[in-house]
Amino acid sequence: MRGPVRSPAHADGSRALTGGLVVLVGFLTVCPVLLLLLGSLSEGLGAFGRLTLSKYREAYGDPGFGVILYNTFVFTVGSAAVCTALALFLAYLNTRTNIPGKFLFRFLSLVPMMVPHILFCVSWVLLLNPSNGLLNLLLREVLGLASSPVNIYTLPGMILVEALLDLPIAYLVLAPALSAFDATLEESSRVCGASTRRTLLRVTLPVLRPAILSAFILVIVRSLASFAVPSVIGIPGRIYVLASHIYRLIATGFSPDYGQAAAVGTSALAASIVLVVLYRRLTASAERFVTVSSRGFRPAILELQGAKLPLSLAVGLLSFVLIALPVLVLGYVSLLPYSMVPGAKAFALMSLKNWRQVLADPISILALRNSLLLGVGGAAMGMILSFFVSWVIVRVRSTASGLLESLSFLSFSFPGIVIGVGFLWFFVFTPLYGTLWALLFGYIAAYLPYGIRPLTSALVQIHGHLEESSRVCGAGRLTTLRRIVLPLLVPGVVSGWILMATMFVRELSLSVVLSRPGTEVLAVQILRFSEDGLWGRLAALGIVMILISTSLVVIAGLVGRQRMRAYGLEGA
Amino acid sequence: MNAIALLLCGLAAATAAFAADPSLVEKARAEKKAAFYANITAVEPILEAFAAATGVKAEYTRLSTSKFVSTVLTEHQARKLAADVLQAPLPILELLKEKGVLAAHRPAALKAYPAWAQRDDCIFTFGIEYVAPIYNKDLVKPADVPRRYEDLADPKWKDKIVMADPSSHATTISWLVGLKEKAFPDEEAWRRFLKGLAANRPMFVASFGPTPAPIESGEKWIAISMPKYIVTKAPAPLDWARVEQPLFGTPRAMAIAAAAPRPNAARLFAEYWLSREAMTILAEKVGEYVLHPGIFPPIAGIQTARVEAIRELPDEEIRRWGAEFKKLFNTP
Repeated sequence: MRGPVRSPAHADGSRALTGGLVVLVGFLTVCPVLLLLLGSLSEGLGAFGRLTLSKYREAYGDPGFGVILYNTFVFTVGSAAVCTALALFLAYLNTRTNIPGKFLFRFLSLVPMMVPHILFCVSWVLLLNPSNGLLNLLLREVLGLASSPVNIYTLPGMILVEALLDLPIAYLVLAPALSAFDATLEESSRVCGASTRRTLLRVTLPVLRPAILSAFILVIVRSLASFAVPSVIGIPGRIYVLASHIYRLIATGFSPDYGQAAAVGTSALAASIVLVVLYRRLTASAERFVTVSSRGFRPAILELQGAKLPLSLAVGLLSFVLIALPVLVLGYVSLLPYSMVPGAKAFALMSLKNWRQVLADPISILALRNSLLLGVGGAAMGMILSFFVSWVIVRVRSTASGLLESLSFLSFSFPGIVIGVGFLWFFVFTPLYGTLWALLFGYIAAYLPYGIRPLTSALVQIHGHLEESSRVCGAGRLTTLRRIVLPLLVPGVVSGWILMATMFVRELSLSVVLSRPGTEVLAVQILRFSEDGLWGRLAALGIVMILISTSLVVIAGLVGRQRMRAYGLEGA
Repeated sequence: MNAIALLLCGLAAATAAFAADPSLVEKARAEKKAAFYANITAVEPILEAFAAATGVKAEYTRLSTSKFVSTVLTEHQARKLAADVLQAPLPILELLKEKGVLAAHRPAALKAYPAWAQRDDCIFTFGIEYVAPIYNKDLVKPADVPRRYEDLADPKWKDKIVMADPSSHATTISWLVGLKEKAFPDEEAWRRFLKGLAANRPMFVASFGPTPAPIESGEKWIAISMPKYIVTKAPAPLDWARVEQPLFGTPRAMAIAAAAPRPNAARLFAEYWLSREAMTILAEKVGEYVLHPGIFPPIAGIQTARVEAIRELPDEEIRRWGAEFKKLFNTP
């Protein structure tokens, strides 16, 4: 135990808070997972049957399972490595340097989280499929090649798209940590004669270790649960990972056994728990990562000088090719009656018909309203819970707080196509079933780490002495929280809220099983268009979703900046 | 333009013609709505027409095949099944019947259907989820269009085919087994066809839904898919291969829930769904193959096609064949 939790009264308060949160978070996340685990150990199709281990024997006795595990390992670790490196590069340039166009680059880094994942994957297929992908056709023309140089239906293709989809998660975890980085540490290193490279390797990156690990682990866990990339890019390339293997188990037959799917899903759950434990081990001595203390905190901006223009161009090009281009493809598809390669015929057939149909569809409008409500309200409620959980995780480093951290990951770690059924089995026994409340609580329970990770990575850098000094000066807990802790956490709060709100706006796994007439949400409506093959309407509604999420991101950013200015922390 | 005008006139006349037992309509109106759980898509025009014809609202909950049984059984066991009417592939409804979810009911409108449409005391069928090779008519020359299923094994189709994953997609598995039982002279010929098809390295997608997109865009040239997309994806350059053998598919079935919260609205909805009017909308607007005599989707040549229902495979058999196709198509 460290920091301000020292007096018996405070210790009691912390214990009570930790206990309360373990019960609350546990109830929300354990119940659906427990029902799934029961299902994996029960005969028949439901959660309650005679106990058996046969589902585990069948699931893990498959001779092809080794290949699936290998693919899953390469896919998740590869995605996490590419994503974290790219996010670190962009977050560093955006928060610590004077690179121009910061707002635009920051916005572009967040775009993939606003696009329905299935649409983002379809865009990449239209760009890089080996038959007539637009980028491949361009490269063949320019380079005079006989065949397409890039094939999206490969493991590297899957890694690229998954890394881009998860980029906002890593960016929003890393950016607050970089914002809270005290530049005097780097200055001291340079004063002692270290080069910029040595300072980066020996000071900057080690201090950022919790945030980097946080982002890396979060992306691994997310890509383990991801279904869009394995389905749209993996299955056509015959590359099966855990999520598509589970889908195969569920889809083969008319009465899918979610218990057996859950038995496979426990591998993902076990991997996530191991990763969380590993993360806690690697960041056990939290003091080493503190950069904001009572001794003074000064975030500083690095002058790029001669590197300014080349770096701006590099980031601009990267953002355009990797993020803006797929979104432009969506705009193009939304104007067409069916998918086709650009050309005279395509331009002649362009119209706003898809847009008119989407905007006149009462279910789409209702879905839009519900999603907006869930995004704004759900994220606000989620962040309040996330704040208390993060505080306990970072400040009360006990066995119970470790348990709380693991619990917060429980439903998040289960592959999406299975966890939805866990929530169905849970909510059907409550009066919330079939209401928007079920979706709201389900979202918060399933995506709690989106609120917790940015807050913990920022909180871990704020020394507990600040809170202690405040209390020594006579301030109560709430005053300390309001005047000291929250102002320093503004970037983390903004990041977490954005992550949660945009996730809730495009959430599908839970929505598809819990949404009923009257509680339709955007992602379910998008799935309907996708199942009907109505790509034009799908793209139009996807763009509406991007616009809503963009508005939420811009508003959150402006509010955050205004709060930072009010606290005198602008530039941090 | 003329075709659209004719279709609208036809629909208007059809809607006006629906007549049900007035006392049933009255009771159904008192119940206000009918809740419809279904896996069939794009049926909103029928629901609107039902409301217009009867004054009873139809509330549609769309459940994918993979989530149908788990959702309905979970709600049923918790005594919270909100559905009045259920529509799904026949094997799903047979399973739900076993679990006591369905009510015994024979709609009067079934009189117009072939006798086999009433499967038993609970379940009735109204259409066939028909499968055929569909192709991009801008890319495939008329002379190259397959004339028999065996033609899909021709090496000229290498890397040009898209189909639902035959190791997992239940309908595709059933269809392939259906070919063995109904379209090929013996198992050896069928296996030769499968080996040739596998050697052409078809691109797999998760289900039928994503099969037309690569054909429209020209990424692939031919798909094992459903001709109904020619209607729903118009004006995409799609056509279907008029194979000499029959077209095959799984029956689309329907039933009323045993504990339907609104039993009269449920019965009225079933009558309307099976009516000539509703089936005309289903065929004309959704491209579905329906069992009501004389009604066909607006797809050239489909009126003369032989469309047959295949045997419903139990899940155990689907999984066994799925495992075999996994090896045959060299899927990990």
